[in-house]
Amino acid sequence: MKTVGIIPRLDIKGPNLVKGIHLEGLRVLGKPSDFAKYYYEQGADELMFMDVVASLYERNSLHDIISETAKSIFIPITVGGGLRSISDIKEVLRVGADKVCLNTAAIKNPQIIKDASRMFGSSTIVVAIEAIKESNGKYLAYTDNGREYTGVDVFEWAQKVAELGAGEIVITSVDKEGTGQGYDLDLISKITNLVGIPVIAHGGAGKQSHIVDVLKDGNISSAMISSLFHYHFIKENRSQASTLEGNVEFLKQKRSFHIFEPCSIEVVKRELKINYIDCRL
Amino acid sequence: MDNNLKKVIIIDYQLGNLFSVKQACDTVGINSQISSNREDVLNADALILPGVGAFIEAMNNLRKFRLDTAIQDKVKSGTPIFGICLGQQLLFTESEEFGAGQGLDLISGLIKRFPNTFDERKIKVPHIAWNTIYTMQQEWGDSALKDLDNNDFMYFIHSYYVKPIDDACILTITNYDEIEFCSSILKNNIFATQFHPEKSADKGLSIYRNWALINNLYNNERN
Amino acid sequence: MKETKKFEVFYGLPEQVIFCKKCVISNQRPTSAVEFKHTKDSKKTTMNFDEEGVCDACRTAEIKDNIDWGMREEELIKLLDKHRKNDGSYDCLVPGSGGKDSAYQAHVLKYKYNMNPLTVTWPPILYTDYGLQNWKNWLDSGFDNISFYRNGKVMKLLTKLSIENLLHPFQTFILGQKNLAPKIAAQHGINLIFYGENEAEYGNPLADNMTSLRDKSYFSFEHLDEVFLAGVSIKELMEKYDVRLSDLMAFLPPKVEDLQKANIEVHYLGYYLKWTPQEVYYYAVENTGFKARPHRTQGTFSKYSGIDDKIDDLHFYTTFIKFGIGRATYDAAQEIRNRHLTREEGVALVNRFDGEFPDRYFNDVMEYIGMEPEYFHELCDKFRSPHLWVKIEGNWKLRNNVACTGHDDKELSS
Repeated sequence: MKTVGIIPRLDIKGPNLVKGIHLEGLRVLGKPSDFAKYYYEQGADELMFMDVVASLYERNSLHDIISETAKSIFIPITVGGGLRSISDIKEVLRVGADKVCLNTAAIKNPQIIKDASRMFGSSTIVVAIEAIKESNGKYLAYTDNGREYTGVDVFEWAQKVAELGAGEIVITSVDKEGTGQGYDLDLISKITNLVGIPVIAHGGAGKQSHIVDVLKDGNISSAMISSLFHYHFIKENRSQASTLEGNVEFLKQKRSFHIFEPCSIEVVKRELKINYIDCRL
Repeated sequence: MDNNLKKVIIIDYQLGNLFSVKQACDTVGINSQISSNREDVLNADALILPGVGAFIEAMNNLRKFRLDTAIQDKVKSGTPIFGICLGQQLLFTESEEFGAGQGLDLISGLIKRFPNTFDERKIKVPHIAWNTIYTMQQEWGDSALKDLDNNDFMYFIHSYYVKPIDDACILTITNYDEIEFCSSILKNNIFATQFHPEKSADKGLSIYRNWALINNLYNNERN
Repeated sequence: MKETKKFEVFYGLPEQVIFCKKCVISNQRPTSAVEFKHTKDSKKTTMNFDEEGVCDACRTAEIKDNIDWGMREEELIKLLDKHRKNDGSYDCLVPGSGGKDSAYQAHVLKYKYNMNPLTVTWPPILYTDYGLQNWKNWLDSGFDNISFYRNGKVMKLLTKLSIENLLHPFQTFILGQKNLAPKIAAQHGINLIFYGENEAEYGNPLADNMTSLRDKSYFSFEHLDEVFLAGVSIKELMEKYDVRLSDLMAFLPPKVEDLQKANIEVHYLGYYLKWTPQEVYYYAVENTGFKARPHRTQGTFSKYSGIDDKIDDLHFYTTFIKFGIGRATYDAAQEIRNRHLTREEGVALVNRFDGEFPDRYFNDVMEYIGMEPEYFHELCDKFRSPHLWVKIEGNWKLRNNVACTGHDDKELSS
């Protein structure tokens, strides 16, 4: 049986869960642990915590959230954002992460993929690729949360990443991310056909059918989803954001974000089952 | 936690995240301690052998800490052991990974790698997914899986799997992209899973609880 | 009170450099200049700091949270009801080039408040391709537009001159853009023009009314020899650079005669609706097909603001040269006031990105105006005020910066 996974992705800045568009913008939606707990109870297969400002601000601050989550949530947790060295990785695993996600550090120094996968096991090391489509049609990889130009071609990079021993690749379309327009199916299928390791799709899910579209060919291992689930969460629940920092204008206005048809994990999984796509229900 | 409870040692040989294993034990009330100390292992009432990483390195570390012989002695003398993922693989004879060498040889059999192609199909390796476990011959009723149903989902993350010589020890089978492999074993006091029960939500936790129950680990009397 | 050495100070800026305790802006930040009188000898008025060391903009941001926005919206609705036309004509004007602000303004006025806006564009000097696409997407979401393409030859000349004389690449652009709106409004009988946010004073809804518009017009045309464009008087422009008055009309206010039948008011929408620039970004993406820049803007950390003109990046480099304030400082200050960032985070970002040279589009700009890159750098050096800059071993260093790691900061602490 080949199953697919549904992985909610939580973007974190300091004490708050935030959600941008094109990996830009720090709209606060609430407290990360509230979302994590809700998704666990709703049947998420894994959770991804991404510190969206760690690379940009050159700091690390997710440790408390990871420990707190790992104490009561018994599904795999992947942590990324600003992991720059072997000791950063070690530390994050020590406080409860199961897998780590590298981007900026890996492009700057690809050797870290090799060293880390040797030390911690290939399956522990996930590499994220943030792809932006240039005007000439080429897809290039960016770092620092979709910000820094590297000139690196994503397809060449994906192959290299797999060769160096990474266990999984998360491919994010920055152009689609947060827009609800659907995944970049071209980009994603090309990546997964190039490598022998599992590939996780991210960026653009706006409704259930988008997720079916990206998973139905059977070559993508999991769909990683943020906006679709977060905007559903705030429809049904209240989460108290930090009073210390973060702009909560959007939450105050109690609006919905109408480019999405928000839905729950359960609804997505049922849709997958109807379309003969196996998953844990 | 009551210190008169039976003591379970979670063997730390410097490979893999032990945090979740400990959390799972705490949650179901197992009195556990993480240790890489040979004496602790020899005095334990039961053992958990977890792990994620490379077989070679694992065996080297076990030998370095002289845990390999400690584990073998304990298991042969009847101490319950719960192997998880790499921990399950280490219980076997040898790995087909080049240069990997011998395992603990407590169960006869090999460790094999998923192929990159099978039936002209590309197989994604590692196998990282929730997948179903189902019975072969052994009943689950007396095992740690007693609260589970056939075809329940568990979380897998591995590139290698075990192939026992004697089918009788196979507890569950799993099918990954048409490749069937042994996903857990039970032979007397040896119980091991390829999947991660501490990462498999409530059903996974029930495995910890039931393993402790079956092996009388909630009793106050120490042997 | 630290002992300050005496250095020459350009532009009438404050001698001592102080940073706001709440955001990251310094007291060297100029407040709006009267552009027509702007010459290289002009003295700047700068941002005021109160006794607690907090800048005016932060203080007004504090007030923002306590305003009764419900009441302000009612005021807006009253204003709009007065001007709304149901006979098919336009009833308000929104100037913009496809950036997030004008996209938001036009959309919210049309679709939330049922107005009939005409949009008006003074195109960027050098459009970025994604900036142009944003503009197209904006119009595609339902707006008529009038764009004024000015005389390219004169635009180039004035841009070059404003860099040479004022190190201010945007000066003529700002003038043209500001003056286009009332001209088009007068031509089409539209009485209401909307700008976005007035960061300086929240208590003031009006940018201009008929009195101020006529004053500006009167002043310009009655005193042409006191009017300066790109730091050069109109007279000199016509005599020395072979430019006609008709070539310069695009940069001047509407003529008094053209304003006769008009009854124009220019309002700040930000007075009536609570303005959070980042939320404006989200709105624009959600409703007008706006897309952020596909890479970080050089000199700062953001991707969503001021991305349609290639010269914009260079403009902020010049503010860094003249005032020690780069784009990251402006962006971080705004985001701190809106609580997206803490001051500590702002400082880290300013430290990392402020003053980064915008090489991506630099050559395009130099080619456009016909200037040698080395000459541009020489010009920059001439505009560095000694009280802000010191040259150490061939490298320019700021004497003071917000992270307290400037040349003089270090000397004092050692």
